[in-house]
Amino acid sequence: MNTASQPPSGWTIALLGLVRYRVIVILVATLAIAATFVPGFFDARTLSLGLDRAATMGLIAIGLTVVLIAGQLDLSGGAILALSSIAAVGLQGELGQVPAALVGVGVGLVAGAFNALLVVVLRINSLVATLASMLLFRAVCHLITDSRPVSGIDPFFGIPLTQPLVWTLSARVTIFLVLILLLHVWLTRSVVGRNLFAVGSNATSASASGIRSRWYLFGAFVFSGLMAGVAGVTFGVAANTGSPVFGDTIVLTAIAAVVIGGTRLEGGIGSALGTLGGLLTLASLTTAMEYQSVPAYVQDIVTGVILLLLILLDRLTHSKRGVNVSLTALVHRLSRKSAGTQPKEIERTIA
Amino acid sequence: MSDTRLDTTATGVPGTSRVTKANLAARIAPLIGMPLGIVLLLVVGALLSDRFFTLGNLVNVLINISILGVIVVGMALVFITRGLADLSVPATVAVGAILTLGLQPAIGTVPAAIVAILAALAAGCVNGLLIGYARINPVITTLAVSTIVLGIAQWSVGGVIVYGTDKAAQTFLNGRVLGIPIIVIVFLVVAVAGHLMLSRTTLGRWIYAAGSNPDATRASAVPLARTRASAFVLTAGLSGLAGVLLGVTLQTARPGIGIGYEFDAITAVVVGGISLLGGSGSIPRALGGLLFVALLNNILVLQGVPTPVQGIAKGLLIVGAVSLDIYLRRKGGRS
Repeated sequence: MNTASQPPSGWTIALLGLVRYRVIVILVATLAIAATFVPGFFDARTLSLGLDRAATMGLIAIGLTVVLIAGQLDLSGGAILALSSIAAVGLQGELGQVPAALVGVGVGLVAGAFNALLVVVLRINSLVATLASMLLFRAVCHLITDSRPVSGIDPFFGIPLTQPLVWTLSARVTIFLVLILLLHVWLTRSVVGRNLFAVGSNATSASASGIRSRWYLFGAFVFSGLMAGVAGVTFGVAANTGSPVFGDTIVLTAIAAVVIGGTRLEGGIGSALGTLGGLLTLASLTTAMEYQSVPAYVQDIVTGVILLLLILLDRLTHSKRGVNVSLTALVHRLSRKSAGTQPKEIERTIA
Repeated sequence: MSDTRLDTTATGVPGTSRVTKANLAARIAPLIGMPLGIVLLLVVGALLSDRFFTLGNLVNVLINISILGVIVVGMALVFITRGLADLSVPATVAVGAILTLGLQPAIGTVPAAIVAILAALAAGCVNGLLIGYARINPVITTLAVSTIVLGIAQWSVGGVIVYGTDKAAQTFLNGRVLGIPIIVIVFLVVAVAGHLMLSRTTLGRWIYAAGSNPDATRASAVPLARTRASAFVLTAGLSGLAGVLLGVTLQTARPGIGIGYEFDAITAVVVGGISLLGGSGSIPRALGGLLFVALLNNILVLQGVPTPVQGIAKGLLIVGAVSLDIYLRRKGGRS
C-alpha cells in the first residue's frame, strides 16, 4: 500500500465520489429531511401534489438541459410558456380544444425556431438573443390579450391532466417523466446525443471532425421552444386559463434545477437524469419547507445556498477530473483498502 | 469565431497596412452611429409631436433614466471585463432600497443609505470572489447570490413592504440646483467618475485588458481575478446606490422593486454596441444606448402607442443593434 503508486488518497477519492454522485447524495438528504419534518411525505397524495407542481418547470428544464449541454442559454422559456398557453386556451372557441392545443405546441416550436435563427444565423450571443426574444414574446402576449387572462370554453376539459393516471402520477407528470427518460436514452445511447456533447464542449473542433455544429445548435433551440410550448399547453389547459404573466420567474428556477443536476453552463457536460434529480430535490425542499410554513424568502436562501455549494464543489474538483470514480471503481477500492488507513493524507485533500 | 481581437492597423508585416477605405468606414461607423441615431430620434420626435422637443419633456426623460443610468455604468464595466452579465442587480437594488427605508427611523437617512450601500457592496464581494477567484460562470453565480441576498434582505425586514419616514430626503432628491434635478446630478457624477476611472486609471486599463485577452493579461502580471472581481463589486455598489435613490424618491420599498432593472441595463449596454465578448466599449457608449432606448420609449408614449409595443420595439432594437455590431466587426476585420 504505497502512496507513491496511488496519487489520489482515500479522502480525495471519497470527496470526488461525493461530487460525482452529489445529485443522488443531495436528493437522498433532502428526501430524508422532508420525510422527518413532513408527516406522511411519502404518502401517494403528498408525492402526487408535489410532483404535479414541478411538472411544468420540469418540461422547461428538459429543453434547458439540451440547450445548456450545447453550451448555450435560453431565457425565453417562460415567455414562450405564456404565449402557447394563450394560444392553446384562447383559440379553443374557434378551432376546438385539441387543434388549439396542437397550435399551442406549434407556437412553442416556431418561437424556438426564432431563437435558433437569432443565435445560429445572426450569430447573436444566446444570452442577449433570448433576452431580446423574451421581451418580444412577452410583449406579443400582452398585445394580443390586452394584458388580460383568457379563459377556455370548458373547465372540465383540462382536469384529466391533473388527475392520477399511472398509480399516483398525474397525466402531466407522466408526460414529463416519459420525456425525460426518453431524453436520457437519446443523450446516452444515440450518435446524435453524443455529438451534442461534442458541440457543447467545443463547437469548432466538432465542426472540424464532421459534425454540423450549427444544425445541432439550431435543433437545441427548437427543441427548447417545443418543450416550453408543451409546458405552456399543459399548464394553460389544466388551469383553463392563458395569461400573459404565466411563467415570469420559471426560467431562472429551472436553470437552477438543471445546474443542481450537474449540467454545466459552459456546455459539454450534463445529463437528463441529473436534471430529474435536481428537480426532485427542489420540489421536495419546497414541499417540506411549506409544510413547516417557512417563509418564501427563507426557501430562496436555502435554494441559493445549495446551488452555490454545488457549483463551488464542482469547480474545486474540476482539476481532478482524470481520477476514476465510477461506482465499480469505488467499490473495488473500498474492498481493497478496508485494511489500511492513511491519516496523513487528510492535509492533501484540503490543499 | 476566435476570441482574439487584432489591431487592424498593423499586420506585423512591414510596409503593409490593412486600413483600406472600406475598412476605415467600417471602423468609424460604430463611433458616429450612436450620436447620429440619437440626433435622428430627436428630429423624428420633434416632427411627430410638438410636446417632444420641450425642455420639460427632455428633463423628464433625463430624470427617468438617472436611476437606471447609475446601474448601466456598472453593467458596462461587467461587459467590458468579459464578465457576461450581472443578474444580481434586482437583489442589490432591493437591498439598497429596503435597508435605507428600514433603518431610516433608527439611524437617520444618510447613515442608513451608507449601510445599505455597504451591504450591497458585500454582496458584490461575494460575486467577485466566486467569479474572479473561483472562476465560476457569472450567470449562475449572480443568479444564486441574487436569491440568497434578496432572501436575507426580506428576512431582515420580515418580508413586508417598507415605507419611508423621512419626507425631507425625498424633497431633497426631487429638488433642483440651478435648474438641474439633484437625481440627475448624482447620475452625472457617477457617469463622469466611471468614465474617468475607465479611461484614465490603471484599473480601467486592466478592465479592458482582462476583457480582450485574459491569457495575455495574466501573462503580463495583471491581477486578472482582482480586476474581474472589482467590476462586479462596483456594479453591486452602484446598484445599491440606485436602490437608495429609488427607495428615497418612492418612499416605499418592496422586495421586487429592482426586478427588470438587470434586463433594462443589459439592453442599454447592448444597444450601445458593447459586445459580450468584452474588451471594447466605453461608458459614453453605454449611456448613449440608454438615451437611445429612453428617447424611443418617450416618442412611443407621446404617440399614444400601447405599452406592449414598447416591449416589441425594445426586443427588435436589441436584435438590430447586435446584428449590426456583429456585421460591422466582421467587415472591419475584427471577426
